[in-house]
Amino acid sequence: MSTTSPSRWKAVRREAGRALTAVVIALAVALIVILCTSADPGAAFRTLLTAPLSSNRTMGLWIDDVAKLTLTGLAFSLVFQARQFSMGVQGQVYMGGLFAALIAMSPIGTTPLAIPVAMLAAMCAGAVYGFIPGYAKARFGASEIVSSLMLNYIAILVVNYLIRAHLAPAGTGQLMTAKFPDTAIFPAIIPGTRFDLGIIIALVATFAVWFLLYRTSWGLKLRLVGHNPKFAEYAGIRSSFIMVSAMTVAGAFGGLLGSVFVQGRAFGNLAQSFDGNLAFEGILIAIVARSRPLAVPFVALAYGYLRQGAQLMGIRTDVPTEMISVVQAIIILLVASSFSLPGKKFFMGLLGKKPAPATPEAAK
Amino acid sequence: MAPLLEALSIGKTYPGGTVANDGANLSVSAGEVHAVVGENGAGKSTLMKILFGIEQPDRGEIRLDGKPVNFANPREAIDQGIGMVFQHFSLVPSFSVYENVVLGSEPRNGIRFDRNEAIARVRELSEKFRLAVDPLPPVGQLPVGQQQRVEILKALYRDAKILILDEPTAVLAPQEVEELFVAVRALVAQGRTVIFIAHKLPEVLEISDRITVMRGGKTVGSVNARDVTEDSLATMMVGREIALRVDRTKGRGDVACEVKALKLTAESGATIAQDLNLKVHAGEILGLVGVEGNGQAELLEAIAGLRPIADGVVYLNGTSLSPLSVLERREQGLASIPEDRIARGLATGATIAENLIATRLADKRFVRNGLLDLKAMKANALSLIERFSIRSGGPGYAVGTLSGGNMQKVVVARELSEQPKLLLVNQPTRGVDLGATQFIWKSLTDARDGGAAVLLSSADLSELLALSDRLVVFYRGKIVAAFVNSDDLTAETLGTYMLGLSSQDPETMRAALQ
Repeated sequence: MSTTSPSRWKAVRREAGRALTAVVIALAVALIVILCTSADPGAAFRTLLTAPLSSNRTMGLWIDDVAKLTLTGLAFSLVFQARQFSMGVQGQVYMGGLFAALIAMSPIGTTPLAIPVAMLAAMCAGAVYGFIPGYAKARFGASEIVSSLMLNYIAILVVNYLIRAHLAPAGTGQLMTAKFPDTAIFPAIIPGTRFDLGIIIALVATFAVWFLLYRTSWGLKLRLVGHNPKFAEYAGIRSSFIMVSAMTVAGAFGGLLGSVFVQGRAFGNLAQSFDGNLAFEGILIAIVARSRPLAVPFVALAYGYLRQGAQLMGIRTDVPTEMISVVQAIIILLVASSFSLPGKKFFMGLLGKKPAPATPEAAK
Repeated sequence: MAPLLEALSIGKTYPGGTVANDGANLSVSAGEVHAVVGENGAGKSTLMKILFGIEQPDRGEIRLDGKPVNFANPREAIDQGIGMVFQHFSLVPSFSVYENVVLGSEPRNGIRFDRNEAIARVRELSEKFRLAVDPLPPVGQLPVGQQQRVEILKALYRDAKILILDEPTAVLAPQEVEELFVAVRALVAQGRTVIFIAHKLPEVLEISDRITVMRGGKTVGSVNARDVTEDSLATMMVGREIALRVDRTKGRGDVACEVKALKLTAESGATIAQDLNLKVHAGEILGLVGVEGNGQAELLEAIAGLRPIADGVVYLNGTSLSPLSVLERREQGLASIPEDRIARGLATGATIAENLIATRLADKRFVRNGLLDLKAMKANALSLIERFSIRSGGPGYAVGTLSGGNMQKVVVARELSEQPKLLLVNQPTRGVDLGATQFIWKSLTDARDGGAAVLLSSADLSELLALSDRLVVFYRGKIVAAFVNSDDLTAETLGTYMLGLSSQDPETMRAALQ
């Protein structure tokens, strides 16, 4: 809300409570999964819960994920607030990553300008890639869901091809480029970890998206189009312009994430399939954060922790990696379903309470 | 006589904390027409939903024939002989009348749907209860009044002993209301019981035997229809005296808006309206009369810039509006209160402050260099909340948290915060309680006295007669009659033109069109 409403904190508490309950239930299910698949379930469960904090290095892994999840969450939040279901963040990440890599590997890569210019190039590439499905929708009525998903495949496959055929060092058979010059790689904030410039970029981006949405007239128009397109039309807001520009701006943030990926200390080069599907998890972040930019980093923090814990559990214990995905899917399912399921009454009944209010809209 | 259906101290709080019913009582005897009246938000609909099993009460008891019952869903209520007809019909437009009626409990012949039996049953019911409707055509082709009969037949087919009608007259022309009442009387004469939810008091007094008045979720009292007057009922409903009278225009100015040979077509190319010619003067209210779907709403949309004009011109103070965008039209002094506040007039998820400036995002007071001036937005909201007495938690609350009447006031406040030159109004008080209606009427006449030319469309003829200085009647996309309003003009007269039963001679019409 742009103006503070007294019910705001209540809403924050309610949402946070819901997310927490989801996490607790998901962990309970995870425990059952672990009990069924692990020889030493106690250790495995402990790894899941505490591993991300076990060393500076693992904390770096966690924070690196948080930065990336925040950026993808922001890109999705922007389009979701305009009620556009563009799924194109992944494609924008690849395009952004490609252009950032091209700059990093060019002569500019060895100058101090490498980082800002590469980031800018990545944002432009992402913006163009976000603009395409927007324009196709405004001009030809093409469903942005379909076109953006298809564009994702194109971007991934084109980038993978370019790496294999042209960008990888000749004759090595590697599926990645050579390391960028140091000037083109983000400096580490804590040496020896992945705790780098990425998290700062993510926090600045969070503020920027919040400012765009809640302090500019473009943001208000965007939200009004998202709330009610027919109202926007009636109020004289050019909704197709808003739609296309929202997707373009979101694309710029997607592209920025591409630069954070390839220039971050985790990679420092352009590799095939580098995003590991993380870009798509922004959908979950945006849904749980209710597309509120200021909530995005917090959700990313919590979700990134679970994600990292699960990955470390997959590495350090005997829990099969497939089960890790199961646990992640359960979290997504529980949080995204918003508990409007009959299960809620049951749980409340267990606690000896009456069902709590959930949908004020239903009241009439 | 023991009551057939009783609701005793029903309490219902919705999730979100809205108290819809708080000690609501209702006692309906067999064979009577029992009206339930009250302002919006008085809890009538909730009580009916509880009786029909859509909502479950938090406390209180429902008794049917003296025995406590508990309906978990409408199915159980239907099995106990309760039927309900909603304001918004639940019919399949492409299915025929008889298919709609029997849908879900089809007569069978082995495993085959026995169509002949179904048609015969529907014919029999429609004759028995004087609900004349042909079982064969698709429901989508029928006028609203007939669709409503199909809904009633649906309930009767399922053997409803008690029939709940939720604001059945809201969508009907006066003649259709008469026909509905004939059917209601036939129902009662054959031992059925009717519960009738309504807003319009004259109708309530005409049709019902007993009246239960609700206010603020409580039952205020039950009275015999013959013991009360419209005024005393209104007082019971709102808890205070209320006067729904407005002053006529003191004198109109020059022609502000002129519509010339206007033609409107649907996307499919079908003609919606044609040969529309009318003039509206500054300082007068021109009422657009017609059963819904005869072109009035579309005319307002076209003038507002939300619908393309196929042919003809609309002038506002000499400027043709056709080439102008919505925003440019608004800059010319056009304001518009749309038909459906939730679908068109508001962004319910956005705050009151945001909704109040949504149409003025080019205004330097609120937006400079692309940045919002939150202080100015808040100040603007506070002053409009005060001026239009919008009951709300404050400017930062989402519009969706307001009641219907207060939502409508937000729309009115936004459109009238500056004096418009041309004001388009469609259904200004639909689903709005008496107190807010009175306020909105006053706002409209204030805008008129401030020099606005007002085009008013409403499904409520008494509203049109109360507010309009002149009236034009739409029938099948054409203007078929025009009147200068006077005390002699009645809803019945208008109704005959609305239904195409009578026609006006061109001379009289031309005179009243000026």
